[in-house]
Amino acid sequence: MIMLTGVLGAISGVWLAGLIMLGLGLVFAIVLLVASEKLKVPVDPRITQVYEVLPHLDCGACGYPGCSGYAKAVIANPELLGQCAPGGADAASRIAAILNLRISASGPAKRPIVHCRAHTADRTYFAQYQGIPSCTAANALANAQACKFGCLGFGDCVRACKFDALHVIDGLSTVDYTKCTGCGACSKACPRNLIEMVPFSYENMMTVACRSRENGKSTRAFCQVGCIGCGLCAKQSEAFTVADNLARMDYAKYAPCGENEAAMNKCPTGVIVCRGKTAPPPREPKAKSAEAAKG
Amino acid sequence: MATDSHGRTTFSRGVHPPESKHLTEDRPIEPGPGVAELSILLSQHIGAPCQAAVKKGDLVQAGQKIGECQAFVCAPVHAPVAGKVKELALRPHPVLGRCQAIAIEPQEPASPTLPSFSLPADFDPTRHTPQEICEAVRDAGLVGMGGAGFPTSVKIQPDAKPPKHTLLVNGCECEPYITCDYRLMLEWTDQVLAGIRLAQRACGASKVFIGVEDNKPKAIDAVGAAIKRAGSGSDIRVVSLQTKYPQGGERQLINAVLGQTVPTGGIPPMIGVVVINVATAAAIADAVLYHRPLTHRVVTVTGEAIAKAGNYYVPIGTPVEALIEFCGGVTEKSAKVVMGGPMMGLAIADLNTPITKTSGAVTVLTRRQIGQAKFERRQTACIRCGRCLEVCPENLSPTRIAHAVRSNLLDVAQSYFISACIECGCCSYVCPANIELTGYIKTGKIFLARQRKKMPA
Repeated sequence: MIMLTGVLGAISGVWLAGLIMLGLGLVFAIVLLVASEKLKVPVDPRITQVYEVLPHLDCGACGYPGCSGYAKAVIANPELLGQCAPGGADAASRIAAILNLRISASGPAKRPIVHCRAHTADRTYFAQYQGIPSCTAANALANAQACKFGCLGFGDCVRACKFDALHVIDGLSTVDYTKCTGCGACSKACPRNLIEMVPFSYENMMTVACRSRENGKSTRAFCQVGCIGCGLCAKQSEAFTVADNLARMDYAKYAPCGENEAAMNKCPTGVIVCRGKTAPPPREPKAKSAEAAKG
Repeated sequence: MATDSHGRTTFSRGVHPPESKHLTEDRPIEPGPGVAELSILLSQHIGAPCQAAVKKGDLVQAGQKIGECQAFVCAPVHAPVAGKVKELALRPHPVLGRCQAIAIEPQEPASPTLPSFSLPADFDPTRHTPQEICEAVRDAGLVGMGGAGFPTSVKIQPDAKPPKHTLLVNGCECEPYITCDYRLMLEWTDQVLAGIRLAQRACGASKVFIGVEDNKPKAIDAVGAAIKRAGSGSDIRVVSLQTKYPQGGERQLINAVLGQTVPTGGIPPMIGVVVINVATAAAIADAVLYHRPLTHRVVTVTGEAIAKAGNYYVPIGTPVEALIEFCGGVTEKSAKVVMGGPMMGLAIADLNTPITKTSGAVTVLTRRQIGQAKFERRQTACIRCGRCLEVCPENLSPTRIAHAVRSNLLDVAQSYFISACIECGCCSYVCPANIELTGYIKTGKIFLARQRKKMPA
């Protein structure tokens, strides 16, 4: 006892405090160590494995809060396999390997196509829109621009894109296919439902870049590059159908063949365009190029 | 009844913009222009759009039903004049932008003649059964003519639950500039009153109040005198209300006249009240007593940029351009055309937009007025002055909702009751920072609707 007092007395106040803290720390560490072993919650190791495979972009395209949410969901319900758009077929096959599943051949990856090709100069405006700079707000007004179907160019889709793959260029929302992951957020953001997620069977896809169901006369009055529903394309290639004053492309029937090229070249307004990583720029409408040749 | 500190019947909050009714209030209802083409929009009401019942090239008679649908909440459309169906195509719509329409080429593009309405000497609403009235109203394609366009037959249908105890007739016309309802109350008083009594008979309400703002003393007197003429048995009262915007909003009107509050997210029938506009009442009388469908309406063409402002009786489907042309044309001064009044009206850019059943006015504003209004001046940061809270008739916090929408925080906007907003525009009107508060709230509502549709549960 005398010795202990002596030892304590020999240690100065600072050292004493340090030793007590050290002792306390040791005791708590032992308690935590025991608790972590005793109260362990078993975690499915596959969740971590699947999470590692996913692209860690947390884009929400799958409908779950982030990649970890999707990892949990896909293990619980393997039918969700392939919902990860940015990961694509690669991620799907690796998840399948982890979960010991066999996947059927997946279709081509989907990429967005904007069904409008009109830039500001091509469009008709009845008046100047000065309201809130958002497509949704402008779309709620009757005539922010004459065409009720075309791109408004206020960039609701640009704000929705997490990958910097969309830009409004000269009043038209334009996809940068080198950056696009196909998550589909833009397609959900567009108040006019102009952005369609299309399976890209080829590097470039041909499409009718218009959604106007106006008759030919009105479409011409509102836009220089709108589809007037003339039906010339449908005569050239069976991939095109015309209904409701509007031509549509059946992507399942599309192939980069001469017939489709001919349809694209015959189109009087140049509304049939190619979209994709290496797509050529769209052709000028016939009336415009004739004018240019004259002038 | 709810009153303010001076004893005037009113709701709490709201604003009082310059009334500007002097331009047209002394102009009697005159026939409008004759036009070469009428576009009858197939969606002029809340509910399912109509299906065209005629084809291109068909000859139609005046008053013939040319579009209808089987849905319960729907109102058919009729041809205002005899003529030929020119085409079925998309036409400009003041709300939807473009909408399927029937274009009619009148046989003779003559000015419409003012209808003659004489109350039958033996007029007695009890001679019509409620079902009869309701059916006649539905056949005539009646919708709320004050602006919302809810099918009237659904509103006044008998035997609805809960039973209706009160019929409120909206003669407030609180929007600046507009005077079409005022002129109706002055000139077609008997017809309005007959319509009110028929509506009362249909919905079975025991009490009837006609709410009129106190800046229209002549209308209050005229309607009061007509009630007296109608004699005993009429339990109809005219209520003079404080001149304040939005006195004519149905939730505000109910609060002012009855002291009751319609539950948030609810509609007046839930508390046993039916609200109809005076123009609708006049149309009810026409529909039930003379079986005339709703094919014409009174439109106030007004604004400082209009040379010959006035109240005109025009066929539905008349393009706004023809109306403006008739009133002196688009002048140097004109800068913005609004369908309706400046507070809640919809700016239109395509002047081919036709008059619909719900358009009570065409207001042409000048460049100077738009400069005074918010939207051409720059928007600045919110200074937290709270003026929008002081004027919001629904006791909301517009600035918080608008900022939540701007930051894409829709759940926050919902926690501030974004859907309770009636979009009256008072907050935008008073905002010293020129923030488009109502615009943001409106946009937020669309975002929410889209979200609900895209993400089930």
